[in-house]
Amino acid sequence: MISPAPARKHRVLLIEENAGDVVLLKAMVDQGPNSRFHVVAHASRLEEGIRRMQGGDADVVLLDLSLLDSQGVETFVRAHAAAPDLPIIVLSSDDGEEIALETVHRGAAEYLVKGRIDQHLLHRALRYAIERAQAEAELAHERYLFQTLLENIPDRIYFKDRASRFIRINRALTRIFGLERAEDAYGKSDADFYGAEHAHDALEDEMRVMETGVPVLGKVEFETMTHGGKSWSLTTKLPLRDRQGKVIGTCGISREITEMKEMEDQLATERNLLRSVIDNLPDLIFLKDAAGRYLLDNAAHLRWLGARDSSEVLGRTVFDFFPDEVANKFHRDDMEIVESGKPQLNYEERILDIQGNERWTLISKIPWLDDFGKTVGLVCISRDITEQKRAQENLKKANADLAASREELLNAVQNLQAAHNELRAVQLQLIEAEKMKSIGRLSAGVAHEVKNPLAVIKMGVEFLSTQDFNDEAVPLILKDMMDAVGRADSVIMGLLDFSAPKQLAVKREDFNAIITNAVRLVRGEMSGAFEVEFDLQSHLPMLKLDAGKIGQVFINIFTNAIHSMGDRGTLSIRTYSKQLTGVGSNVGDSRSESFRVGQTIVVAEIDDTGHGIPDDKLAKIFEPFFTTKPTGKGTGLGLSVAKTIIDLHGGTIDLRNLPDGGVRVTIMFQS
Amino acid sequence: MDKKRIFIVDDESGFTRLLKLTLEKTGGYQVLEENDGTNAWRAAREFKPDIIFLDIVMPKIDGGDVAQQIRSDPSLSRVPIIFLTAIVSPGETNSEIGGFPFLAKPVSLDAITKCIREHLGS
Repeated sequence: MISPAPARKHRVLLIEENAGDVVLLKAMVDQGPNSRFHVVAHASRLEEGIRRMQGGDADVVLLDLSLLDSQGVETFVRAHAAAPDLPIIVLSSDDGEEIALETVHRGAAEYLVKGRIDQHLLHRALRYAIERAQAEAELAHERYLFQTLLENIPDRIYFKDRASRFIRINRALTRIFGLERAEDAYGKSDADFYGAEHAHDALEDEMRVMETGVPVLGKVEFETMTHGGKSWSLTTKLPLRDRQGKVIGTCGISREITEMKEMEDQLATERNLLRSVIDNLPDLIFLKDAAGRYLLDNAAHLRWLGARDSSEVLGRTVFDFFPDEVANKFHRDDMEIVESGKPQLNYEERILDIQGNERWTLISKIPWLDDFGKTVGLVCISRDITEQKRAQENLKKANADLAASREELLNAVQNLQAAHNELRAVQLQLIEAEKMKSIGRLSAGVAHEVKNPLAVIKMGVEFLSTQDFNDEAVPLILKDMMDAVGRADSVIMGLLDFSAPKQLAVKREDFNAIITNAVRLVRGEMSGAFEVEFDLQSHLPMLKLDAGKIGQVFINIFTNAIHSMGDRGTLSIRTYSKQLTGVGSNVGDSRSESFRVGQTIVVAEIDDTGHGIPDDKLAKIFEPFFTTKPTGKGTGLGLSVAKTIIDLHGGTIDLRNLPDGGVRVTIMFQS
Repeated sequence: MDKKRIFIVDDESGFTRLLKLTLEKTGGYQVLEENDGTNAWRAAREFKPDIIFLDIVMPKIDGGDVAQQIRSDPSLSRVPIIFLTAIVSPGETNSEIGGFPFLAKPVSLDAITKCIREHLGS
């Protein structure tokens, strides 16, 4: 390579001891009409010359080998070592030509023999020396650049011959092959370093490259090494040509991309995972740019839009899928998010789907920001909550129904309670009736077995009464016997009465009339000074009663009263009706169970002026065969019968001593 | 004047005997007593009573059945039958059982004679 002619003169350093030669040489260098050379310095000793050389003062050196401080080849060796790139022309004497030739072998540019030098020869030698030095410097630089590249680049570089044998590899590849020196690979092929498969593929590629001259560019290869390594690489293979353009082999460069490849695979895996997550979500997910164009959507959203795949959706807007008015609303809402940059989270909205059906959705819209915080679109997630909404409505309705049912149930429970109470009363009556039936059967048997003998005795006594007896006591005895028969008979009668089947013949009756009739029937019993006082409320409500049985109740009560008063006293009879206003206000404990507030009741009170009932006996007065009368005076069944009859009518009977003596019997019926 | 013929059917022989004695002693009655209800119908056909007192509760046969037999016999169908019964309470106002009048045991002689007079009119 020849540099353009320099504008300045080439600087020449003259290292010469001989003063005469110095003058001569200087003159030869500098003189001449167009001399391009000029001696810039002169040194008579090597030491000084070397200093000048290293100072960069010269472009070329004229060196005499015989100096005061150095002789022969040694002089050149030292000078050349001091500045290897500076071209040196050696000056030798006639007898030193062999030595001079030796210096040329060692790197001298040329040698001239003193005494045979002319100006023309000298200038030509100087010119050649400089040009060659320049060319060599450039070549060395080129080689240096190439070498630097080859040895430092992490990519692997190789050169191969036509048989695909390595002729040159760089340091990176040397390392990969596990070799110490690149030269160890020369003459070997891929099969010596790579697995058979890769070696085979690479060879095929190289053959094709050499055959066609078409390079392989950026091919991704999976390489397995014979020593076990595995890697991904990106390879380029080029034909290697000589200066005539003939293909003499291949060269190539490859880069390991395992890490990149793995990252890529990992990214792809993550992308697929994310994709399958969002595609499997039932929620609609989509991403839009600031103009409302779909950038991404999931499978649920595709279905919702009625699209088959993303290509039908991406880049389009709601206006491509919905009627204008619906699309307008969607678009307006989306643009609001984009403009405000504020998210709208979890709001419910009633919308029309692609088929025009009304659906309820739960929506979240979030602005999508770029790296600089600028809103460039939005992300929307929406969920169809129509079913939940319906369920909610149904639940609300069910709750209302439930409340109503509960009300009904409460009523039903109350009715049931009432029914239960009635049923219990009936049950008690049934139990009582069953009991009475047993007693009735027993009583009938007893009555039959007792009354027949009584009939015989009575008939006997009556027969004897017709006879005459001498003894005056006989008629008295017969009368006592007759009374005894009468008493026995009345006990049996009472028993039968008590246990008789209790079937009521109920009619609407005048309560007062029943009472006055009963009084009439017991008048006969009142042999002493008795008064009967009536205080009967007129226009009492008619009561549903069995007149015969209730009449008997009053007869029993009046009879008891008369017996308790002896031969004088007052029987007070009062009737009245009233409405119950509150429990406890005017109703005793025993009665409060039978009647309820608000009912109208009819009351009869019968007071006598008799001896009353001992307090310790009060609790037992309704028990059968319990009597406070003297032996022989009562059957002990009157009040039992009365209570049974009153109970059957659903009424109450209560008996208590009056403060001033005597007894008050209170009978109540529900009107 | 023929004595009134009274037929008493009751398994209680003490009662029938005393009633027979008492009624016969008072004068104008001829009394037949029968203590076995199953014989009652046949005995009545022979005796041809003017009035029959018939116990209801008897062994072997019920007074009601005996009454049916007698009623169904043309020769006896017009004879009044009075039931005698031990099982009746004073509360029972109805004075008939199965269409027949009755007297409650223990019955007094007065009640018997009053009853006879009412039915036979003497």
